[in-house]
Amino acid sequence: MGVNISAPYIYVCTRMRMRKAKLLPREEYQRMLNMSVSEITRIIGETEYKQEIDELGTIFKGIDLIEVALSWNLAKEYQKIQEITPGNLKQFTQVYLRRWDIQNVLTILRGKMQGEKPGKIKEILIPAGSLDKVILDRMLSEESSDRIIEMLKTHRMYPVLAREYPAAKESGSFSHMENELYKHLYANIIAGAKASVKGGASFLAYIQLDIDIKNVKTLFRLREDDLEEDARDMFIPGGSLSLLNFTSLNNIKDLNEFIDMIRANIRNDTLHSLLDELKGNKSSHDIEARLTRVQLEQMEKMSKRNPFSIHPILVYLEKKKYEVFNLRAIARGKESRLPADKIMKYLVI
Amino acid sequence: MALRDIKPTRSELINLKRKIQLSERGYKILKMKRDGLILEFFKILKNAKDTRGDLLSKYATAVEMMAVANTVEGAIGVKSAAFSVKEVPQITLKSKNIMGVVVPQIESSKVKKSLVDRGYGVLGTSTVIDETASAFEDLVESIIESAEIETTMKRLLDEIEKTKRRVNALEYKVIPELTAARDFIKMRLDEMEREELFRMKKIKSRNTA
Repeated sequence: MGVNISAPYIYVCTRMRMRKAKLLPREEYQRMLNMSVSEITRIIGETEYKQEIDELGTIFKGIDLIEVALSWNLAKEYQKIQEITPGNLKQFTQVYLRRWDIQNVLTILRGKMQGEKPGKIKEILIPAGSLDKVILDRMLSEESSDRIIEMLKTHRMYPVLAREYPAAKESGSFSHMENELYKHLYANIIAGAKASVKGGASFLAYIQLDIDIKNVKTLFRLREDDLEEDARDMFIPGGSLSLLNFTSLNNIKDLNEFIDMIRANIRNDTLHSLLDELKGNKSSHDIEARLTRVQLEQMEKMSKRNPFSIHPILVYLEKKKYEVFNLRAIARGKESRLPADKIMKYLVI
Repeated sequence: MALRDIKPTRSELINLKRKIQLSERGYKILKMKRDGLILEFFKILKNAKDTRGDLLSKYATAVEMMAVANTVEGAIGVKSAAFSVKEVPQITLKSKNIMGVVVPQIESSKVKKSLVDRGYGVLGTSTVIDETASAFEDLVESIIESAEIETTMKRLLDEIEKTKRRVNALEYKVIPELTAARDFIKMRLDEMEREELFRMKKIKSRNTA
């Protein structure tokens, strides 16, 4: 970190640490695993989610109330963080949260294509990115998908949408467009981080870790799929792996050889020790959850090394996301009558 | 057919004999058909048991995977991924013949899809969605397979039942009645012949006396 750290940076990073300290501890999740959905709702209603639970209590019930309240709280929290972060940190945070825009736009386009009612689509939107509730509502009220794309003319994702949408509309599948949007997002993030701005190097380090983990997750997913896939479409450039490495890794059939090759291409001690464990066959979800944990662990380390950088903010954003994820998983798991140990397996703690 | 309605004539006897012969031939053929159908049915039954067991286990897996997907991705993630489904499997119905019974032959467009063809982006979803989609694709394939086998079984059972009724009707009703009528006519004709003979003898003895 540089010697001259401005007060707003210290202020916001300290606030992030405070917010992070307020996140639910592991024991709280374990306690919730023994509760019913209504008890979980009550407990959540006594925490940071009180306002959303109270507001939505008259509209939704049971598991839907929990899920919508959690999403609303996440969106509100992310919007608030974007407001309080100063200077470059704000820019980094905003660009990082733009992935929610991709998710929302694709959900609207897919929902419209399937002929879903705007109300139904609205229930599953999370306005945590740059597209707020008002813009999303306007997009939902549009009848044609072309008009929705037109509305996004000023948005950063527009060039990709304009390029990919006609083909996606014709084929009826948005998968390629979705992959392209994420790749474009990461390319933008990297470009922003590299543009010799203060704190860019720290941001870049995190993004490269994120890309590496994402690429490794994709490779493991492709291995699970029995059918031969063209892996190039799913590769995110900017991390430790090159496209050539990625495609050749995808062609390796033997698991041990595959893991050794990843080890050789990505330098990360925590990831290496995890990869050694993965040599014993694990389920694909287990692998994904472990990789997520490695990512969070690495992020935590980074934020400790750079306490007044973008890292504490990113750590909080991710941990908050996983808190929402865990609470929803417990509530949904309980509703589906999954055993507590099975639910526990899926939590990211 | 009541015996009193039968005309004890030679032509009627010939007719009845023909009918009995035809009925007995039909009875034999139908009996063979019934036995053949039962054999076919048992062959399919074993297959049906396996596919039904398979279907039930795949259904249980799919339901569990949906619960897991809802747990991990939430209704939001699952619904968002479900919006990506662009095409449903197309079913083509053909028919084939098993011993005169027309049974369906169901052909479907490819249900199992690759990661790319499922319509959702790989970079924005998790592996649980893949596993759930795969579990449901397996289930749909199993349902199509079971639909063919179970409809075939149902049709065969209906046909066996129908054939059994026909065989029984021939064996216990039609053939015995025809045989009784034939015997009756034979008896009546014999009696008439004896009466005629006796009458002739009487006339002859009166003439000689």
